[in-house]
Amino acid sequence: MFNFAFSSMSEAILMESQNGQNHGIYVWSVFLIVFGALILTFIIYKNKIRNLSKKIK
Amino acid sequence: MIKKFIHQFASPKTYLKQVDRAYPYIFFTSLSIYLIAIFWGLFLTPEDFVQGHSYRIIYLHVPASFISQSLYLGMAFASAIFLIWKVKLSAYLVRSIAPIGAMTTFIALVSGSIWGIPTWGTWWAWDARIISTLILFIMYLGLISLHDSFTNNEKADKFLAILVLVGSVNIPIIKMSVEWWSTLHQSASITITQKPAIDPSMLYPLFASAIGFTGLVVCLVILSSKFHILDRERNKSWVKDYV
Repeated sequence: MFNFAFSSMSEAILMESQNGQNHGIYVWSVFLIVFGALILTFIIYKNKIRNLSKKIK
Repeated sequence: MIKKFIHQFASPKTYLKQVDRAYPYIFFTSLSIYLIAIFWGLFLTPEDFVQGHSYRIIYLHVPASFISQSLYLGMAFASAIFLIWKVKLSAYLVRSIAPIGAMTTFIALVSGSIWGIPTWGTWWAWDARIISTLILFIMYLGLISLHDSFTNNEKADKFLAILVLVGSVNIPIIKMSVEWWSTLHQSASITITQKPAIDPSMLYPLFASAIGFTGLVVCLVILSSKFHILDRERNKSWVKDYV
């Protein structure tokens, strides 16, 4: 269950499947979108709270 | 008596004190679980026999999809509390959850579309599950716009709560769309009544990613609610002491 599914880093990036297609572009695009959206939302709300707190003070 | 208890417990000041204390624990625990789950799902689980490696998107798509619907149910619950007991905090929470719900629904739609390219051969299909999720996304945006278009906040809270309750009819439609109609989207692999159709080696990281993502979204809801409470209560004396 805990064995690496890939033998090298380039294989993990490309994610070549048994049918010969590289699925890495899809998987990593989604990864970037999810983490990008999460990080951006955290930053936006932290800044909003900071700016509002300054105004209230 | 229930009303008195709710009003005491759900005062915005008490709420902020409680969530400020809980926030760092929830954040670091969820982040750790989520990062481990994503590493596990992307690198350690075996390749799927049918979908190849593209199935790994499940660890990012399913938690977002699950949370996008759960957040709406949370909004509906808070709306009901606001309309029945007139609890201000519930109204603030409804408005705070909406943008986070829109963000998670956006993730669910985009990740599903990208996953559709290698598995279905298309990024979009006019499929019941996809359309009902798109409606959910539009509803989130509509609810935010509606609330912000009012100059009277009390009226806006009331309208928002009523509309959220009316719109909650879409949640069982999203859930059951794959059963009621013949859809390109597969039916649920995990149900309460049946044994999961996913191998445990792929299932455990999925559960872990769902738990981690849920915790991170809870943190976002805390931040969003903190902003909306401070904004709405800015003229109260306790807010000046708080900031």
